[in-house]
Amino acid sequence: MLGYLVKRLVGTIPVILMVTVCVFAFVHMLPGDPARLVAGPEASPEDVLAVRKSLGLDRPLSEQFIRYVTRVVQGDFGISLKTRRTVIEEIGQRLMPTVWLTVFAMAWSTVIGLLIGVMSAVKRGKWPDYLGMIVAVSGISFPPFWLGLLLISLFSVRLGWFPTGGYGTWQHFVMPSFTLGVAVAAVMARFTRSAFIEIAREDYVRTARAKGVPERRVIWRHSLRNALIPIITMVGLQFGFLLGGSIVVESVFSWPGLGRLLVDSVSYRDYPVIQALILLFSLQFILINLLVDVLYVFANPEIRYK
Amino acid sequence: MMKLKSLMAITALTAATILPIAGWAKPLTVAIKDNLTGLDPTNVNDTLSQTSLRLVYQGLFGFDEDMKLIPLLAESYDSNEDATEFTIKLRQGIKFHDGTDFNADAVKVNIERLANPDNGLSRRSLVSMVKEVQIVDDLTVKLVLDEPFGAMIASLAHPGAMMISPAALEKYGKDIDRNPIGTGPFVFKNWAADTLEVVRNEDYWKDGLPKVEGITIRSVPESGARFAMLQTGEAQFVPGFPPELLEAAKKNPALTVEATDSIVEYYVALNNTKEPFDDVRVRQALNYAVDKEAYCKIAFSGLCKPADSIIPEMLAFHVPAGDYAYDPDKAKELLKEAGLEDGFQAELWAVSNTENLRAAQFIQQQLAPIGVEVEVVPLEAGVATQRIWSVDTPEDAEVQMYYGGWSSSTGDADWGIRPLLYGESFPPAMFNVAYYNDPEVDSAIEGALGTSDPEKRGEFYADAQKLAWEGAPWIFLGTAQNISAQSNTVTGVHMLPDRGFLLEEAEFTE
Repeated sequence: MLGYLVKRLVGTIPVILMVTVCVFAFVHMLPGDPARLVAGPEASPEDVLAVRKSLGLDRPLSEQFIRYVTRVVQGDFGISLKTRRTVIEEIGQRLMPTVWLTVFAMAWSTVIGLLIGVMSAVKRGKWPDYLGMIVAVSGISFPPFWLGLLLISLFSVRLGWFPTGGYGTWQHFVMPSFTLGVAVAAVMARFTRSAFIEIAREDYVRTARAKGVPERRVIWRHSLRNALIPIITMVGLQFGFLLGGSIVVESVFSWPGLGRLLVDSVSYRDYPVIQALILLFSLQFILINLLVDVLYVFANPEIRYK
Repeated sequence: MMKLKSLMAITALTAATILPIAGWAKPLTVAIKDNLTGLDPTNVNDTLSQTSLRLVYQGLFGFDEDMKLIPLLAESYDSNEDATEFTIKLRQGIKFHDGTDFNADAVKVNIERLANPDNGLSRRSLVSMVKEVQIVDDLTVKLVLDEPFGAMIASLAHPGAMMISPAALEKYGKDIDRNPIGTGPFVFKNWAADTLEVVRNEDYWKDGLPKVEGITIRSVPESGARFAMLQTGEAQFVPGFPPELLEAAKKNPALTVEATDSIVEYYVALNNTKEPFDDVRVRQALNYAVDKEAYCKIAFSGLCKPADSIIPEMLAFHVPAGDYAYDPDKAKELLKEAGLEDGFQAELWAVSNTENLRAAQFIQQQLAPIGVEVEVVPLEAGVATQRIWSVDTPEDAEVQMYYGGWSSSTGDADWGIRPLLYGESFPPAMFNVAYYNDPEVDSAIEGALGTSDPEKRGEFYADAQKLAWEGAPWIFLGTAQNISAQSNTVTGVHMLPDRGFLLEEAEFTE
């Protein structure tokens, strides 16, 4: 297991390197001169030139790249062009809000999704199944942007239950995490349902029932446990989806997280921040994949890694 | 299985805690569209950051709510005839938030810091013409300039030239960007991610001010969310209110929506060096062909005034320069005179956003009846920077028509005219994207810069406005209005014509 982990971790290094090269190339292909943006619309050409020099943007691309990689390896991601703080500080401030938002959304949407899925599968063809699937389809079809505004106008403006946005108390979490998680819950429900129905046809489930194992135990112990394997993969994939979705949700709820930071940075051509963020997102994906593989083992000890 | 149980527990907990919550905190909250970019006024470029820093900092001069120049930390000034020496008398008894005195020394430190190119401050151009700052006595300074600069006092009123505590500059160095210490009505408390918090300055030099405990500036990018904050009472003031929500806001009796004149003028710059725009008759024809009243309705839902000069009415030294009344027949006649009775084709560039494109399409539709076939080309902001503002020579410029707007942040005619229409302001030096070069206009601009006498400056700028209006380097369109919305529980919040705001006199009425 440990050996497998180390091997997987080492295997990510070339991937990360490739991502670094691509990100650097793409970001520098964006049209627009960051030096001019930093210097401001009313700066003289000399000022712009001075800024370009101080940012090292006047050097050849290859040199800029080598410098960038050397620094990144040392943990130095540079200075944000917009706020002139270090990128680490900038991201550090925004990291936890996004992580918490994602974790909360993931947690409740997984649980709700599983419950609806199991219920639909067990009561297949009956009204709880139809209801569950109607809810699921609606959940997938709601654009998060629209849903967010709808929630704000209902629960903040009309009812006054929750603040319209921002970050701080638990009240701030409710609507954003709901908006973010609703699509995931829907996907989870549908996925769980089909995985569950599949497994209910398996011999060992039939055997268990034949042996007189109580129905509840058949569902939770025998079926769910085995259905969990594809579901875990799904959770991993959805996590990546949530990171993407958080960009929209963070904008609607003025959530001070990474998604909004990325949007702001792109419009400002804040190269160092964009690069660091994309690297971070890629790294997150790689780690989540790794985590999913490890979780398999816990869900089904029969899977062994060599 | 354990994992699943704990997940369920968390969800149950979340669900169980959904309960109504009581009212929110009391500082005056302002919801703005974008994040602030920094807290060093001499090194930020955007209006929102600059104007937010007015809470903490003040300049020698400033603006009132109509953007008229007023003395702030200065009491009065004097200058010589040719605008090369300015003697400024300072107000007595003012202290920075760190307890140090505001005096001639502090002014010298600040202006020299800003003017020094080694410091690389983005607002250097405001004082770059200052050769020397002399201390006459503790409360008097004299600025000696390299060359005549009649707009000096207006430049000092710009937020970029606000006064920072010299002790703080020494203590924090570059980190002054995180630890702002000025003389303003509010003292800095905290700035994190998207929120700036300031609290009341107990020792503020203006009697009875400020009247609120503190102010919170929060950046909320989604316009619907800003409106919602106003409705729930989470925010009391939204400057730059989204026009599409105007009607909804007007229906809410707890809110006041206001439209005030701005100093943002919109125009279509015509490349005066390219055919057929090098013919003044063609440029005038285009001006006659566009119905400006209709433009205001289409582009700004009527919250706009047709332009009557090259600079907006709220700018110092504005004079009405004329009127290209809507007259398509006259336009056709002029085109015929120019030998273009069959019209011509041209590209109209605009930085891509909904507002701009709607306006550009309106222009396209207006010019069609006189045979001018316009293709609207939307440009992403970065592309625009490259293709419009970073072009090295006029010959390389590909731009034919460009739709844009301009806000003169010093409130003075100088910055409304010189960067846009002066013969030496071609990109990339400045923003004369019309490549307009009229020696008479140039000499009027130079004349105005060469004197500090407001009356003479006014005469020169009147000439410049009339000449450039006839020369028609642009299709003159209109001056947009600013919309702001506020809760009826506050008074004393003002939107400035440059899209900034003044909150010094803010007060809760309930």
